[in-house]
Amino acid sequence: MSEEKVSIKDLLGLSDEDMAKPLPVPTDWSRPFWEGAREHMLLLKKCSKCGNIDHPPYLFCTECMAEEHEWIEASGKGTLYAYAVNTFGVPFPFWDDMPYVVAIIELDEGPRMLSNLIECEQGKIKNGMRLEVVFDDVSPDVTLPKWKPAS
Amino acid sequence: MGRGEFAIIGTGEVPCGNYPERSEFEIAYRVARMSIEDAGIDKSEIGAVLAAGHIMSNPSCDFNTEMYFGRLPEAIGAKGCKVVASTISGGASSYSIMKTAEGILHSGETDTVLVVHAQRFSQFTPNEQAKFFAIAGSDVEWEVPYGMTYNALAAMVTQAYMNETGTTLEQVASVCVSDRKWACLQPNAMFNNKEITVEKVLGSRMIAYPLTSLMCNVLADGGSAFIVTTAEKARKVSDKPVYILGEASDYSHRVITKAKERDFGKWGAGFTSVFEQAYAEAGVGPEDMDIFQIYGSYPCISLMVMDAMGICEPGRSGELFERGDTWPGAKYPTTTNGEALSFGHTGTGCGFALLVETVRQLQGKAGQAQVPGARFAVKDCGGGAFMDIHATVLGNEIPG
Repeated sequence: MSEEKVSIKDLLGLSDEDMAKPLPVPTDWSRPFWEGAREHMLLLKKCSKCGNIDHPPYLFCTECMAEEHEWIEASGKGTLYAYAVNTFGVPFPFWDDMPYVVAIIELDEGPRMLSNLIECEQGKIKNGMRLEVVFDDVSPDVTLPKWKPAS
Repeated sequence: MGRGEFAIIGTGEVPCGNYPERSEFEIAYRVARMSIEDAGIDKSEIGAVLAAGHIMSNPSCDFNTEMYFGRLPEAIGAKGCKVVASTISGGASSYSIMKTAEGILHSGETDTVLVVHAQRFSQFTPNEQAKFFAIAGSDVEWEVPYGMTYNALAAMVTQAYMNETGTTLEQVASVCVSDRKWACLQPNAMFNNKEITVEKVLGSRMIAYPLTSLMCNVLADGGSAFIVTTAEKARKVSDKPVYILGEASDYSHRVITKAKERDFGKWGAGFTSVFEQAYAEAGVGPEDMDIFQIYGSYPCISLMVMDAMGICEPGRSGELFERGDTWPGAKYPTTTNGEALSFGHTGTGCGFALLVETVRQLQGKAGQAQVPGARFAVKDCGGGAFMDIHATVLGNEIPG
């Protein structure tokens, strides 16, 4: 018997389009975040009026509704709040990645972010562990911030 | 709105499962007729027709648009209809559409409202369903690119709940066992021919630890309808009106990273105040409830909701399920149609199915699943990525 893994694409006769990973499509108010990620910077939207940091960013501050804001560079450090290891039943573009870890990271700046935890043995994942951001250039235009155990 | 101001007087429902040949329109027309016949009214009495629409649509299916544009009253010949509307808030729709109906009744425009839901997931390929439900449960920009899924979300919440409360995996699995026992008494349930065990639930395929496949939902085709009237009319036309006694809600978030209660393990405790408000408005308490109807969609959410319904110490509901206190014939009949996990997940319709089952129970029309002499029931629903919680207390009498 062959040990070779049969891809879900061949098994179900899926098209390249079916298998294409979904990428973020920025809004007018989130574009700086993704542009920053492409430059390997983790940017957060900070309200100039009340100082609230919103992630995800919205059109205006979710606390005081002011539109004036600045983008600050985050420390790139955070703590693992929760995670799940996806081992079956994921959208087909992610099928061949299983098992992979989706995680909620509490940034040192306060907001939470959903991402992937990578470069970590699954047996060693523990809520509360310290993490640092890494940048995954998934396409020439798009970079996804991901997280790994802090060095 | 006051206690017992409105009542449901009739319901209709089609079997839930895999019925690709049965269109949403056929479902909607059939459940509408069933509910009219069950209520014993003339269809000309209906002054408003509300549809919950289906949550997943496709370009070749214009069901939602047709509902917006008044197809349903024409198709069933509801010639007295004055108002047509659609209300949809995902899994919370049975509540938000009831609120819409109450508003219309309260305005005095009409005293009789027909409410309908229909869904046919089987028109979509597995790929389309997986894609859609990744997007529905998660944020397209911030979560979907990371392969986030509904199941992963539920896995995180389950872990947090277990850590917070000391609930065991066996207790989580017991919810699925209880749901299946009830579904086996329901002719319209998708999974009604074989009971399951804790061992079988825990031994089924691992989806995202600790969630196994039998702890996850199966999308299904189905639909239901009900007739809501003022209490005054209900007493005139119906032997068995089921009154809306108390209602309360809370909203938390769209994306999980923005959850109002940042400690997921404490959600159950937060739900408690919602149920307390609903009980207070109803004038009856948890000790008066004969049935506990939970739309959890995942077993850990059922446990959180049960914690909040007021019959056990918060965090201890796993023991009730594990002991079988929630089973048919036991002390706390719970989720008597088997809900999403065993009745079948019809998207927007899970809360509807539970609501019409509650009405059947309180009207003494629940067949094999009937809880003898049931007078009061409490029910929840919620939608989105665990975005909200809605509690409703119903009864076949208005407490003095």
